[in-house]
Amino acid sequence: MLRAVIAGFVAILAGFRTTFGYLFVKKPTIAYPSIKKQHAPRFHGLHELRRYADGKERCIGCELCQIACPANAIVVVGAENTPADRRSPGERYAARYEIDELRCIFCGLCEEACPTDAIVLTPRFEMSDYRRGSFVYAKDRLLVPPQGGVGSAPDERPNGIPADLGAVAQQKSTVDIATGYDATWYGRALKTERRGLAG
Amino acid sequence: MTTQPSVKTVTVTVDGVSLSVPEGTLLVEAAKQIQEDIPVYCYHTKLGPAGLCRICLVEIEKMPKLQIACNTVVTDGMVVHTASDKTMEGRRAVLEFLLLNHPLDCPICDKGGECDLQDFSMAYGQGASRKVEAKVAKPKAVDLGPTIVLDEERCIVCQRCVRFDDIITQERSLVVKDRGHRDIIATSTEEPYVSDFSGNVTELCPVGALTSKTYRFKSRPWDLNRTKTTCTQCSVGCQLYVDERYGDVLRTMSVAEDETSDGWLCDRGRYNIGFYNDPQRIASPLLRRGDEWEQIGWDDAVALWARQIREARDTTGPESIGVIGGGRLLNEEAFLLQHLFRSLGVENLDWRAGRQTVATPVFSGTYEELEAAQTILVFGVPPSQTAPVMDLRIRKAVVQRGARLVTVGPHSSGSSVTETHVRRVADIPSDAFDAERIAVVFDGIDATPMRDLHERFAELKRAGKSLIGFIPGEQPNARGAEAMGMLPRDGGRGTREVFSAAKDGGIRVLSLFGVNPALRFADGALATAALERTPFIVLSELFLTDTARFASLVLPAHGPFERDGHVLDMTGRVQRLFAAHAAPGGALSDGEMLVALADALDIEIPSPSALTARARAPEKRAMPRGEIRAAAPGGEAALRVIIRSDIFAGGGTVYHDERLEELRPRPIATLHPRTAQALGVAAGDLVDVIAGDRALRGLIVRVADAASEGTIRVVDGLPGAPANVLFDGEEVQVTKLEPAAPLAAAGAVAG
Amino acid sequence: MQLEKILTAGIGELDLCDIAVYREQGGYAQFERAVKELQPAAIVDIAAKSGLRGRGGAGFPTGRKWQFLPNNGRPRYMVCNCDEAEPGTFKDRMLLEYTPHQIIEGILIGTYAIGSRHAYMYIRGEFKRGYETFMKALEQARAADYVGERLFGSDYSVELTVHRGAGAYICGEETALLNSLEGKRGEPRLKPPFPAIKGLYGEPTVVNNVETLGYLPHILRRGPEWFAGVGTPKSTGYKIVSMSGHVQKPGNYEIPLGLPMRTLVYDIAGGLPPGRKFMGIQPGGGSSACLFEEHLDLGYDYEALAGAGSMLGSGAAVVFDDTTDFVKAAHSLVRFFAHESCGQCTPCREGGNWLEMTLERMLHGRGVESDVDMLVDVSHSMTGINLCPLGDSIEPFLASVVKRFPEQFYAYVRTPQTAVAV
Repeated sequence: MLRAVIAGFVAILAGFRTTFGYLFVKKPTIAYPSIKKQHAPRFHGLHELRRYADGKERCIGCELCQIACPANAIVVVGAENTPADRRSPGERYAARYEIDELRCIFCGLCEEACPTDAIVLTPRFEMSDYRRGSFVYAKDRLLVPPQGGVGSAPDERPNGIPADLGAVAQQKSTVDIATGYDATWYGRALKTERRGLAG
Repeated sequence: MTTQPSVKTVTVTVDGVSLSVPEGTLLVEAAKQIQEDIPVYCYHTKLGPAGLCRICLVEIEKMPKLQIACNTVVTDGMVVHTASDKTMEGRRAVLEFLLLNHPLDCPICDKGGECDLQDFSMAYGQGASRKVEAKVAKPKAVDLGPTIVLDEERCIVCQRCVRFDDIITQERSLVVKDRGHRDIIATSTEEPYVSDFSGNVTELCPVGALTSKTYRFKSRPWDLNRTKTTCTQCSVGCQLYVDERYGDVLRTMSVAEDETSDGWLCDRGRYNIGFYNDPQRIASPLLRRGDEWEQIGWDDAVALWARQIREARDTTGPESIGVIGGGRLLNEEAFLLQHLFRSLGVENLDWRAGRQTVATPVFSGTYEELEAAQTILVFGVPPSQTAPVMDLRIRKAVVQRGARLVTVGPHSSGSSVTETHVRRVADIPSDAFDAERIAVVFDGIDATPMRDLHERFAELKRAGKSLIGFIPGEQPNARGAEAMGMLPRDGGRGTREVFSAAKDGGIRVLSLFGVNPALRFADGALATAALERTPFIVLSELFLTDTARFASLVLPAHGPFERDGHVLDMTGRVQRLFAAHAAPGGALSDGEMLVALADALDIEIPSPSALTARARAPEKRAMPRGEIRAAAPGGEAALRVIIRSDIFAGGGTVYHDERLEELRPRPIATLHPRTAQALGVAAGDLVDVIAGDRALRGLIVRVADAASEGTIRVVDGLPGAPANVLFDGEEVQVTKLEPAAPLAAAGAVAG
Repeated sequence: MQLEKILTAGIGELDLCDIAVYREQGGYAQFERAVKELQPAAIVDIAAKSGLRGRGGAGFPTGRKWQFLPNNGRPRYMVCNCDEAEPGTFKDRMLLEYTPHQIIEGILIGTYAIGSRHAYMYIRGEFKRGYETFMKALEQARAADYVGERLFGSDYSVELTVHRGAGAYICGEETALLNSLEGKRGEPRLKPPFPAIKGLYGEPTVVNNVETLGYLPHILRRGPEWFAGVGTPKSTGYKIVSMSGHVQKPGNYEIPLGLPMRTLVYDIAGGLPPGRKFMGIQPGGGSSACLFEEHLDLGYDYEALAGAGSMLGSGAAVVFDDTTDFVKAAHSLVRFFAHESCGQCTPCREGGNWLEMTLERMLHGRGVESDVDMLVDVSHSMTGINLCPLGDSIEPFLASVVKRFPEQFYAYVRTPQTAVAV
């Protein structure tokens, strides 16, 4: 009888071994959003349209990302640069560039297709909202601010290929992933601004 | 037993397949029979071989070297290999050479996706270049003319554009300049490339060197929704592809195998597509309230219209109602229009709203027959500005088939080919009628020469000669309107009589469909007076035109690419239209408006299928005679006015197409240098052209040797400078406008 | 060695530009005889029997060329090609400047022979002195009633129009020459149709070289058998050879065809400068392949040279000794052909420029080893697929010297210090 009780108790302990064992393991839960976990550098998150260091847009509006996109999430409409309004090196720029992040499957094929390394997927992932429409990211939210450009713009000669294309391609985001984790540069700028107001 | 001369055929073996083709066939054409398309750049079916690009190399047995398929005539027993190792090596080499200096800006190139150089590079190219030196730099985005942008670096010097300009249009303004790898395309005179057919070179260009300004960077080819329809900018009836994206008509492309257009489009048909989404386009019915327009709903608009018609009929009778329109409508709509108003007893029906008085020639012919004619007689306004693509046929007939072109009247042909130009019918060289096949091209305006030559034509016909007529008119479907019955019958009044009656207050309700008599009617003063006196005018239009100034109710209609139905081209062929663009929400097609009106008036209309059947089977009835106009008063007039057509004139679609800013004609008066000197004016001066109490004001003088002496040539159909205040051929005076006082003062100060 | 002078007879001794002097030598007698006594067809026969071949470069039998003209009742034209621009050739210029009447007589006989009444003389634009001499001679001939209406009392009339080129090598190609004559861009035409069927202004046309036509009076005078008896059975008669390069006595020499090249180089042209070693000879102008020591005993005639992989061409022999840098020589020739490409057809337009840039890069010491193979490969792939022979002119010399002296080419890529400023 007693033997049976002991055996039963041992069985319970054995059964709870995993459970009790975890009492002494470091907890993985983090206090999000005060503390944020760092993703792998090549994590496929929110898109970003990059610029060159001189502030010109990298995107030339070629629509190759649009045709590469398996989810039909991208819309690009090109337009011509004029001497008075020069957006990108060369003749063409994207007058309209939109990504529907709800449709996007974050496969990164747009990044692959881009001939100028303009569109990249950053590790940013926070884009929750209450309205569907707000998930259609247009140029105003995709394009990095002028000071966030990388690499030197190609010469105006069409065969001038940017020398640093390889190096820039390695760079996943213009934002330091160790410190910046806000959904977009736009959000971060907004927060900074608010903090400034509050302070 | 057939008596036809048998065409000798030869047998050629292409890639193991034995083909029988007529003697004299080029290898490149023969290979198309088995879908063995040999790659080509410089060769084009309609331009012939040039032997420049060397991509069409094929291996022919018993020949030591590779041969170009585009200039090899097949011979009996020839054995050809189009995919052998040797052929492929030749193509690879040629592609490597072609790409040496071709910039790889495919991502931003408008041709990217439908480019022959891309396609053949993928199929036969070697992938990587062995050249390490920088590519040759040439000018990019060269502004070649009002319609075309040229990228010299992309050019592979196939010379298709140069040959098109030489062989097809005969204008010869494009040339190759410089030599060797520094070759560039340019105009021979360094002047802009101006041609009414310039857009065709962008289609001929196998790479993205020549692109249209209107389509530059607008889209990539894979985004476009394509619809094949019929162009209704003029009465030729060319088939075209309409490419649309996100609700914008972005470009039109010719249909290569089309028998009507021969695969070419004029620039009006190709480029006048930017008005569909113009902010000034009417989007809902507009009712006049004093000097203001009030937007009203369709129900109210139709009810008002119906009430006015009913009241007019009941009080002053159906003869106080007039309907003008049909030349811009579909066959279905034109039929419905006359059916509806005839049901009310209205006989004042007419499509004629401009200068043209007749649309159906007595003896119709096809364009192929026109091309085969030995003598081409052109009366009045030349077709180069009213039916440009038809004019290409005339040029082809003259240059390639040796036809004789005789133009009769004040206008010379305006084509680039040799012609005999005579002023009067009596001056037509008599041997012009000796030909077996004679084509008559008549502008449909003044039928006097037709009357004078009536006996002559009858005689030719009796002699068994082929005599065919064409009337390239102002309105695209004038012939369809005539065939559908949009003409006064049984004592009804035509447009001129309606206007005369209206001027005296005899017309109460006037319904106008897509016409602009205030700007276009031959007697502008009469039209204006008539419109002013008519109490209720309904106008179906896309824009508030000059005629809309007189309208009480303006109804928003559908534009050319927004329609589904049938029209007749000037040869009487039924052409099909398919809607390629969604009309703005507030607009209705003319057919829908008429159905609503019929509903409001309780008139029974034919079923849609019966209507379609009717539209496809044009009525063959006795055709009306054109108006005989009183000859211009004889004697020695110091200065006569000639009213000229221009394909880019007009107060509607062209006027509201912002992409065509550069192409619209300016209000210009053209004078011969001696005439200008006699009048004391110089190029650039501003003048008024005055005839009695009527005046055409503020024209810019241009001096040209090509103008006839003793005449002043003005452009018809320009809003702001309506040439219809003058009569074609009447005597006029010219007064020079002195520079305004402040300008003169400024000049004095500066001096 | 004493050579018999035919075309060059009297040059340097008599003032043959004077029509009186020329007539003393029997000038214009043959033309007069032809018009008065011979039927055009008889002259065509004589030309065919003599075995005379085109001296401009292609070596096509002249009589046969004339026989190709269709009998369609259309006007015909005779065009004399004096657009001599092949590197190394200077024979036509000498004939033009020293014996213009002989050329005029040749043209007139040829024009009469093909039944034409209008001849054109196309003179290279740079030949200013030759042009002036020729025009003076033409005036004299006109004054003496050799050119004009109803000659020698017969009903034969002939007109001779002189046209100056504007300095394009390609206009020496017959169809480009015709385009240039018509006032169009000097670009070769697509063949077929050949000029004999559709030439100048769309009519049947014969284009003959100055030297070819120049032999006609002599053949008429001395009979076709005399001409056929000289030279080899297939290459008959005489040829003026322009000797240049590393020889002691460069200049024009008129030789019977088939003369061994060794005789040509060592006996006639005086051999190489003392102490130099023979390295190669380019026997027929810039577009011919280089021949070497072992070929020197070949006869200088059309067949023997073609058999050795080169050609007689226009008869411009350039001799290279052991001081020659063949990379520079090749670069210089390739640059010429790339510069003179009309740009019509792809391989010639792009390939020539590419080869020039590659050679230039090698000369600047930036070549890599694979460039040498690439030179051969590219020049080979651009050959045989062109519209006209210009594009095929680069490979023969380039390939022959790369094959023979690869070490000279590898020297430029292996030791960059040999590079010099170009």
